[in-house]
Amino acid sequence: MTSAREQGGGILKFLATIDRRIVYFVLFVLVVGPLISPIGMPISVAPDTVQYHNAIAQLGPDDVVLLHLGTEFSGWNELSAGAMASAKMVVEREAKLVIIVGHPEATGIPPLVYEGLKGVMEAKGYKYREDTLNLGYMFPNEPAVAAAAADFHGLVRTDYLGNSIEGTFLNKVKTAADWALIIDINTGIWNQALINHWRLPFGTKIVAHIIGVMVSGAKANVDAGLYEGSLGSLRGGAELEYMIKAPGPGLQAMDAFTLAHYSLLIFIVLGNIGYFGYTRPARVKERTAVK
Amino acid sequence: MSVFFKRKDIQVTIVGISFLLVFIPYFFDIPVLGAFSVKLITIASLINAFTLALAVYALMRRALNTVRKKGRGWWWAVYMVACLFLMMLFGVIGETQAPWHWVMFAIINPLSSVNYTILAFYVSSACARAFRARSIHAFLLLATGFIVLLYQAPLTGAVFPGISPVALYFTDTFAMSFSRTTTMGLTVASIVLGVRMLLGREVQFLGFPREK
Repeated sequence: MTSAREQGGGILKFLATIDRRIVYFVLFVLVVGPLISPIGMPISVAPDTVQYHNAIAQLGPDDVVLLHLGTEFSGWNELSAGAMASAKMVVEREAKLVIIVGHPEATGIPPLVYEGLKGVMEAKGYKYREDTLNLGYMFPNEPAVAAAAADFHGLVRTDYLGNSIEGTFLNKVKTAADWALIIDINTGIWNQALINHWRLPFGTKIVAHIIGVMVSGAKANVDAGLYEGSLGSLRGGAELEYMIKAPGPGLQAMDAFTLAHYSLLIFIVLGNIGYFGYTRPARVKERTAVK
Repeated sequence: MSVFFKRKDIQVTIVGISFLLVFIPYFFDIPVLGAFSVKLITIASLINAFTLALAVYALMRRALNTVRKKGRGWWWAVYMVACLFLMMLFGVIGETQAPWHWVMFAIINPLSSVNYTILAFYVSSACARAFRARSIHAFLLLATGFIVLLYQAPLTGAVFPGISPVALYFTDTFAMSFSRTTTMGLTVASIVLGVRMLLGREVQFLGFPREK
C-alpha cells in the first residue's frame, strides 16, 4: 500500500530522485561559464601556501633545484599552475633548474614548462645547459630514485636530447646532499621514494605540490619535518600565483573552482531535503538513485 | 646450473644477501660496501626498466591469442597492438619530433585529462543522490565534510575568514590522525612482509606457490 506522499511528492520527490543529467548539466554550466566569462572572485591564501612559498623564496643564485614531475597529464591539469609558479620563482632567484620526469606521460610536460617560462628565462638570460637542463624520464622505478641520490652521475649521463651532462653545472652535484631543493610535483609517483632515499639519508630539502587527495598525507610529512612545505591542488597553485603576483591558469580557474564547490554543497543540502521530506517519511523501498 | 638457481633456498639466500648489501651501508659508513651497494641499486634499476620488454611480450601474446580465437572484442586487441607499435615507432623517430608530440598532445593529454576530470561529475552526482544523513554518524561525517568543502572554496575564506580555524581543526586533527595511522600501519605491515620474505615464509614473489 502506497501513501499519498509516494504517489505525489512534488518538489520533494524531485529533489530525492534528481536526475543525474540535471546535476551534470548544472556542473557543466558552472565550470564552463566562468572560464568563458571570468567573474574575478577574491581568494584567501592558506598558511600552507605561505610556508611553501617561503621555502622556495630562500633560494639564491647558483643553487641547484630539481623539479621532479611525478605526474601524468591528468594530474598536470591540477598541478600545472603551481608547478609553473614554483619554477618561475626558481628562475627569478637565478637558481639552476633541472627537470626530471617520473612518469612516461610526463615526458611531454617539460616543453610546456619551458614554453611557460620563456619570458622570465629570457629576462634573466637563462641558457640551456648553463642554467637549466631537462634530463627526461630518469625515474622509472624506485631503485633509480635511490641510485640517483647516492651517485647521480652513475645513473644520469645524458640529458633528454642525448647530450652529455659533463661540463655543465651538474658537475658539482655528486649526491642528493648537493641539491638545494626538490620541488616535487606529484600525484603519488615516487614521492615516498624521494623521502626515503633523498631526504632521510642526505637531508635534501623537499617541497611538494600535490593533488587534492594527497593533502592530508603531505601535511603529515610537513609536520614530521620531511617536507619544507606543501601546496595542495589547483587552489594552492592559484594562491601561489597570487602571492608572486603572476596571475595564470590557476587564478583563472578559481571562479569555476569556487562555484563547483558551492554547487556540490547545494546538491548535498537539496538531496537531504528530498531525503527527509520525501524518501524517509514515505519509506520508499526502491532505490532513489535510479531514474 | 639453472636447476641450482631455481631452488627456493638459493633464491631466498640471494634475496637476503642483496638486502644486507643495501641495508648495512644505510647505517654504517663502510666505503667499499657503500660503493658496491650503489652499483647494485643502479643494476637493479636497469634490470627493472628492462621488464618493460617482458610486459610488451606478455601483452602481445595475450592480444594475438584473442585475435586468433576471434574472442570477444578482438578488434580492440588489434587496436591496442597497432597503438603499441605506432607509439614505439614514433619514439624511435624521436621524442622531440612532430609525430611523438602529436600523440602526446593530441591524444594522450586529452584522453588522460578527460579520464580524470570526469570524476567531478560522478562526485557531484553522489552529492546530490547518495550523501544522506541517514544516521547520527552519517550526519556528523556529512557536517564535517560540509565545513571542509565550504572552506576549500577559495571565496569562502576571503569573505568569511572565521571558517578557517574550524576547517583547519578538522583537517589537522581527524584527517591527520587517519593519515598518520594509515602510514604507520602500512609501514609496520611492510616491515613484517619484508621480514617474512627474508625468512622464506613469503615466496610468491619468487614464483613459488604459497606454503601451507
